[in-house]
Amino acid sequence: MSSAEKCPRTEAISALVDDELADPARAALDAHVQGCAICAPVLAEFRQLHTTFAALPDVTPNVDFAFLVDRRIAAAGVPTPKPKPQRWRWWQLAPATLGGALSLSLGVYLGGTLMLGSQITAQPAALQMAAFTAIPPGALCPALQACNSMGR
Amino acid sequence: MLARDGPDEDWVRRAQTGDRKAFSELVRRHQKSVYRYLLRMLSSHDDAMELTQEAFIKAWQALPQWRPEAQFRTWLFRIANNAAFDALRHRKLIEFVPLEDSFDAPGSEPDPAHQAQVTQEVRQLDVSLKKLAPEHRQILLLREVEEMSYEEIGSVLSLNEGTVKSRLARARAALIEIRARSRS
Repeated sequence: MSSAEKCPRTEAISALVDDELADPARAALDAHVQGCAICAPVLAEFRQLHTTFAALPDVTPNVDFAFLVDRRIAAAGVPTPKPKPQRWRWWQLAPATLGGALSLSLGVYLGGTLMLGSQITAQPAALQMAAFTAIPPGALCPALQACNSMGR
Repeated sequence: MLARDGPDEDWVRRAQTGDRKAFSELVRRHQKSVYRYLLRMLSSHDDAMELTQEAFIKAWQALPQWRPEAQFRTWLFRIANNAAFDALRHRKLIEFVPLEDSFDAPGSEPDPAHQAQVTQEVRQLDVSLKKLAPEHRQILLLREVEEMSYEEIGSVLSLNEGTVKSRLARARAALIEIRARSRS
């Protein structure tokens, strides 16, 4: 069994090496490790591993992927990203609805004002049609009943 | 006109409108780290070359889904990591072909004895990494090579920080165990 497997604080020591341990816990662990025969070798091994990783040679690609990727996108006709169609939201119609309602109200108001200004008053339909009867306006009635039936 | 050294997010917004030049700038910024990660995950130059391109093409197609809350780098690494795992599953690459000459240790150390020791350590690490479970290898590479924080690793692997912390500790312990066995 390795020392890391024996140590109950492996997780915390790993976080200590990564500098991801908050300060009170960090100080407490530092103090503990100095006097612990199980934890001290684990910390040393993890730090050694970190150093060896840092010594890994850097890897640099010998091609320009930007060029290769762009060529593939163009050649294969990979579709250009298009923003998702926006979801319909009811409140997006609010300005149009408000505008429509205002226009309608204004139309009714202006119409009413014009009607009042021209002093036109509604007449009964029978009176309006009286102009088209056989008896011209102002002529004598042939019989009183006939005049009454026409509203004269 | 965007500044060459401006943040990724500005370039991503421009690329989202279909600007391929802006996307090429993003590829140039991240190609090295994506390729390096895939090369160490797959231990194959050809696979890493192919998957790096695939990862960027997938990123181009998925650009409309990118949101400013996500770092472009971690978002891209999530795509690259998924591509690596798909390849590992698909090709059943459990035992990897060793990488040869490209993994020599850098020659900046003046002391030849120390230099030889470092070279030996690096070679051993390289061999041990290949024997490590892919889940352990990926998290160690993200931390030790790509130098990502626990939060960033969590974002790439869709894990919470507590899981990142425990998995990293297990990965380190497993790697040390493999190295110890190979020494004895």
